This record gives sequence, structure tokens and C-alpha cells, in this order.
Amino acid sequence: MRRSILIGGQAGQGVAKAAEVLGKILVRLGYFVFNYRDYPSLIRGGHNFNVITFSDKRLFSHDERNYEIIVALDQRTVETHKKEESENTYYIAPNGVKIPRGENIDVSSALKEGVPPIATNVILLGALAKFLGIPKRVGKEVVATEMKGTFNEKAFEYGYEKGEKNGRIGKIPRKGVYFLTGNEAIGLGAIASGIDMYIAYPMTPATPVLHFLAARKDKYNFTVLQMENEIAVINAALGASYAGAMTMVGTSGGGFALMAEAMSLQGMSEVPLVVYLAQRTAPSTGVPTYTAQGDLLFAVHVGHGEFPRVVVAPGDPAEAFNRTIEAFYLAYRYRVLSIILGDKHLGESHYSMLENEFNPRVEPDRFLIFPKGDFKSYEITEDGVSPRSVPGAIEAPVRATSYEHDEYGITTEEPEKIVAMMEKRLRKAETIRKVVMELEPLSIYGDPEADRVIVSWGSTKGAILDAMKHLDGWKFVKINYIEPFPSSRFLHEVEDAKRVVIVENSSTGQIGRIIAENTGFITEDKILRYDARPFTPEFILRRLKK
Amino acid sequence: MKFDIKKLDTYAENTWCPGCGNFGILTAAKQAIAELVEEGYPLNKFTLVSGIGCHAKIYDYLNINGFYSIHGRVLPTAIGIKLSNPELIVLGFGGDGDTYAEGTAHFIHAARYNADITMVVHNNQVFALTTGQATPTSEKGYKGKSTPEGKWDEPMNPVLLALTAGATFVARGYAYDVKYLTWLIKEGVKHKGFAFIDVIQPCVTFHNIAPYVRERMYKLEEADHDPTNYEEALKRAMEWNYNLDPDAKIPIGIFYRVEKETMEEGFGRKIPYYKVERKVKWEDVIAEKKIV
Repeated sequence: MRRSILIGGQAGQGVAKAAEVLGKILVRLGYFVFNYRDYPSLIRGGHNFNVITFSDKRLFSHDERNYEIIVALDQRTVETHKKEESENTYYIAPNGVKIPRGENIDVSSALKEGVPPIATNVILLGALAKFLGIPKRVGKEVVATEMKGTFNEKAFEYGYEKGEKNGRIGKIPRKGVYFLTGNEAIGLGAIASGIDMYIAYPMTPATPVLHFLAARKDKYNFTVLQMENEIAVINAALGASYAGAMTMVGTSGGGFALMAEAMSLQGMSEVPLVVYLAQRTAPSTGVPTYTAQGDLLFAVHVGHGEFPRVVVAPGDPAEAFNRTIEAFYLAYRYRVLSIILGDKHLGESHYSMLENEFNPRVEPDRFLIFPKGDFKSYEITEDGVSPRSVPGAIEAPVRATSYEHDEYGITTEEPEKIVAMMEKRLRKAETIRKVVMELEPLSIYGDPEADRVIVSWGSTKGAILDAMKHLDGWKFVKINYIEPFPSSRFLHEVEDAKRVVIVENSSTGQIGRIIAENTGFITEDKILRYDARPFTPEFILRRLKK
Repeated sequence: MKFDIKKLDTYAENTWCPGCGNFGILTAAKQAIAELVEEGYPLNKFTLVSGIGCHAKIYDYLNINGFYSIHGRVLPTAIGIKLSNPELIVLGFGGDGDTYAEGTAHFIHAARYNADITMVVHNNQVFALTTGQATPTSEKGYKGKSTPEGKWDEPMNPVLLALTAGATFVARGYAYDVKYLTWLIKEGVKHKGFAFIDVIQPCVTFHNIAPYVRERMYKLEEADHDPTNYEEALKRAMEWNYNLDPDAKIPIGIFYRVEKETMEEGFGRKIPYYKVERKVKWEDVIAEKKIV
């Protein structure tokens, strides 16, 4: 059983909130839910919609046609999605909206019962709940906890009374189910890591992390700082981290480009830093509120000069939580740049996750030493990792520098010293590689013996896993750490395969170049999507059969 | 207690040109730190941030905590340090190309934010390390390799800009008047808030305006200037527009000083973050998203 409902309307009509509340109601009732959010870049008007796909079995993706129900807050929703309806699609809309079939709810008379027109989304949610057969009490409870204003409960009740009953959704006993977005998971992962400072400049689709953390800074005692531009953001973050704060910045492609110079400063100064890159459709402004995976090569190669970095790509919110904690651990333990590579689809979609899927493998810390007397900020060590201290915590000076330097951090242009420091950083890269290889850098799903292989990374995970339910003789190799790349394990998984297909939300399949660069393995078999929309299982299955 | 100023020396070889104005700034900075340590400021809390350019070599010549950052980014780096650990005494050193070209946006916003840091700009009105191109503060008509016919645009007046941007301490020093500059840096450090000191630093190789400055310079403290009067400060700032007009008068000293809430106060920052022990369990953090 896989059921999909589309809720659409103008920006400002509360489409996203109604969808989130419906999702939470369904999870409360024991269902697994995926909530996809689609919105253009505007504040009022236009057309927004969400697709809520749910089932009594695990699922991680949405559908883009054949919706069982379309809840249309306006006429445009009906017209826009007509091409995606099935012959049975049932419409629920306010009176005045012309629908091919289904029911019109008399929203205009709700005002008499103390329900303001702003609550039309909740009235229709009530009618939808009735149609699905959701118990009224459960629906009302979730509305009461999720939405401010008592009129919302009234609105839900009003819609429920006016709506027609069709099916029945019983409660499935279940425990340990979470409902959250990738952005929320990254924010919570940062808090669990002990974040002291989150610094950002607003940019979709990373902005929700800024809002999410700002709403929790007092509870967990950390600082959220918005600065004048992304260049200020990342340089302030490096200053803050140098002085001892656990620091993260978040942005999307354009902001990441502005930060690139300072990422190279991270490489030289070895001041720990965590960067969240939420990809959106590019180049340039691109399609700013939509998804893509086109910044992969940029993230892996960011910064001038040669220096180690970590690029980790979570595929769902539980992974986003775990991997954010790993990103902090690696950055602070090894004084390295950790990039969390996400995108709009992962960041802004709600997933239902199970308790045992949250399982961080490491414990982040500041990893500081406080020696008495002499201190070398860039001590040359066997594993390439120089122990870290912070200014003001010890008597000796603590230095950080963009310039090539000796062990004390004093500038050098001497060839022997340059080589010694460059090789120290190379040894550090090797040390990090060994650690990352123990952190499940690659995951296998499906039939491990299969000789047909899907290769992908990041937010495509959900649609691929759901597509695999309809595939026999396939396995899915998901790359979690893009850098350092798990080369030998990857080769082991594909060397005897008959078919190796890359799935990527881009126009060129950039992971293919990363694989070739690291392993010499080349495949031209690719399923790509670059219409700014995320994959659905049906899209993958259709292309795979071609 | 007498502080041995030699403790501030490092083993780095000094590579400034002989007679460079930067020596004056380095000596004044050392003297100011030494005197402040004698007054009870802890030496290990002094933390400098430099940009890139001739000025930035000061990082190698001062034996205190330091962050040799990148061109134009001294101020955001310094602000990040101060918010992370408000106990640190943060000294920014920037060049005029650094602060007034590459980092202009940061300069304007730092004046608004009012973090308790001191920013010393080595203003030699030229890009020296890249061999003599015009900067925003070079005088109109300056002839460098990139402007062989003479720079056509009017100079920026950073003192006026800082005043209008809301800086709470605005001063100008002269690199060759070490004693006065020492006093200015100390006053800047003691000022609670963003202290900005533009230092006229003649470049012996590319922009030696020492004779011009010496003849026209006067001290605000000796001219009955009231540094709490904003309108007076604006008038004094406009007496020299950084062109080399023969009739100009060049005031040095403190133009303006006012106390306002600092950025770290606004953010409620007191305890250095590195001292904060975080005992939050990840299971409790993720629990807020548990539905059943």
C-alpha cells in the first residue's frame, strides 16, 4: 500500500504547514510518511504544493503523478496538476474552486462559526482527515500542538464535520518513529556535537538550519550569528574556532563559492571547521528553491592549493544527524575541513526515521591540550596531526596562519621547512583516510551478490530504495564519504558487475568522474535528472527499463 | 612590575625596508602591550589578527597569540575570536588596501557591530608589497605602475567613513610619532567597543609623504577638541581628505569616543566557549522529533 496526496495552493495559504501536520498525524497512527515540498521563490501568491506519500511499510520518497487525492486550496492547483491525476483522483477544495470530481467544502460560512478565512488550509485538512478516516480526536490533538491559535482546532473540526467519509485509517501499534527534515537533523546533529557558534548568511535551502538553531540557542547555550556576507561568515567562523568554539557555517552554492578562499585558509591554518553545503539548482542563481546535486565536484575540489578535506553526503535525516556528528568529530580531532554535502530535497523533505537508525559512531570533543611552557602550534608528528591549544588558555602564544610556516607558526619560505609542513598535512590526510574507512564510507542495499549495480550518493537514496522494491537482482552501492573516497571497497563491489548505473540529480553524473579519478573505473551508464526536481521511484524504474 | 619588552620579540627575520613606517607601528604596539601588561593586562590574552601585505608581517614580529589571516578579512576574523572568547584582548592590524579595498564591507559593519576590539590600519596609501599600485586612500593623481597617467578618482576618507558608520572610538596616528601612537593604541585597547586607529605610515619606497605630513600635522589634544562632540569630530575629519593639498591641516589624535553596548554584551557572551563543558546526550537532543 503506497498512497499519495497532493496539497496545493498559493504561497501564504499554509500548504506546507498543513502537509507537515498531516504527516505527523499519520506517523502518530503508525504509518510511514514522506513529505515532499515544492515551492517557487516568492513570498505571496504563486503555486506551492506538497506531496505526502504514506504506507504501513517503510518508504522514503514521494510520487509525482496518480495522486489518490488532490487538496486544492485554489483553482491553479487543479489546473497545474490535472496532467498528473488518475481517473480516480479525488479532489477536496473550498467552494468556488471548480473540480472534476470530489467535494467542495463550504469555507465561506465557517466565518460564522468563528473560523477565520486564514484557516482554510486547516478546514480542508479536517475534510481530508474525514475522507481518509483518520480519527477526529488524533487529528485535533496534533493540530492543537502544532498550530498556534485555538481557531485552528475549530477549523479542523468544522472541516471534519462538513467533509465526506470514505475510508478508514486504523491505528497501527508502533514505537520509536521520528518525523523530521534533513535540515532539522543537521541542526540537531550540530547540537549533539556540542556546537558553540553557528554563523551564516541567509541562502535557500540552508536557511532553515539558521532558523532552527536560532530557535534553540538559549536552550542549549550557543551563539547564532548572521553577518554581512558569506566571506565574513567563514572568516569569523575560523576566528571563533581558533579561539576555541565548536563552529559550523551553512550555505548553498553561491555562498559556498564566496567562502572558497577561506576554505583554503582552513587547509593551511588547520583551524577546525564544519561547513554545511545545501545544494540547489545552479549554475548561478539557477532555480533557487529547487534541488540538484551539481556541486559535487566543486565541493570535493574547493579551494586553491592542495590540502586535505572531508566530504560526507548523508542520504536521509538519520544519516544527516549521524554524519553531522562525524563531521564535527573529524574536523576537531584532525584539524580538518569537514563539508556536509546535502541538498534541498534532503534538507526540506520530511522523512519518518526509526530510533535505531540514529546511531552516532563517534563522540566529538574540542580535543585541546594545555601544556605548561613551550607550545608548537604546528608540531610535526608521525600521524601529521598537531595537537591543538587555544589562545589565552596557556602561557605560550598559540598561532594560526595562512602563510607557510614552521612548527611555531612563524612564516617560512625555506624549501626544507615547506616540504616538512606539506608532508605533515599529507600524512594527516592519510590518517583521516584510515579513520573514515572505519565509518561505513560506503553502504550496500539490496542483493549483495547481484551483478547489476546502482551507484549513487546523497538524497537520491530514498527514491532508489523505494524503486528497488520492484527490482530483482540489483544492489545499490551508496557512497557516503566522497572524500576520502573508499576506492578499494568500491572496486570490490563493481568489478564483476554486468551493469553499473549511476543515478544523480545532475546533467553529467559527476560521481562518475570522482569514481574514475579515484579508482580508474569508468561507466557511461547513467540515469540523470536535471529538471530541478528530485527523483521518484517511478522515474528511476522507467529509465532503468529503457 | 616592570615588564621586559624583549619578551615580545621573536626569532623571525625582519624584512621591512630600512626606514619603513611599519617599524614605528611595531615599536608602538610593543610599547603599548608592555605598558598594559605592567598595568595588569595578562600577556597571554593579547591576540593579534593581521591581513596580507607589508603590515601583516607584524604577526611574525610580535611574540603573542596571532592569526595571520587573508587579505581584507582581519575584522570578521577578529570578531569571531572575540565572540568565541571575550576574555581575549584582540588587536587587528590591517593595511589600507586590506581594510579599505578588499575588506570595505567588513570595515563598515565592524563599526556598527561594536565588538570590543582594536583595529590599527597601517595606511601608507599604496599597495607596497605588490610594488606600488594605488589604493582607495591614494591621493588623486598618484602615479603608480597601474596608473601611469595618475589615479583619476578621489581618495576615500576612512576616518570620516568610520564616524558615519557608527564607530565608537575613531583616531588617527602617525607612524613616526611612536610615543603618541603608543598612547593611542593603549586608549584604543582600554576603550570598551570598536576602536579604530588610522595610522599615516609613509612608505619609504613607494609613497614617502613624511615631509608633507610633518608640516601640516597637529594634535587634537592640543587644539581644544572635544572628542565627545560628534559634529566637531566630523568637521575635524574633513580637514584632510587624503589628497596632498598644500593648504590642508592634518589632525592626529582621538576624533571621537563614546561608550555603547558591545557586540559580545549584546550576544550575552562572557565565558570563553573552550571552557564550556557540554554534557548534552545525543539521545535527548534527537528526542524532540520523536512522534511515537
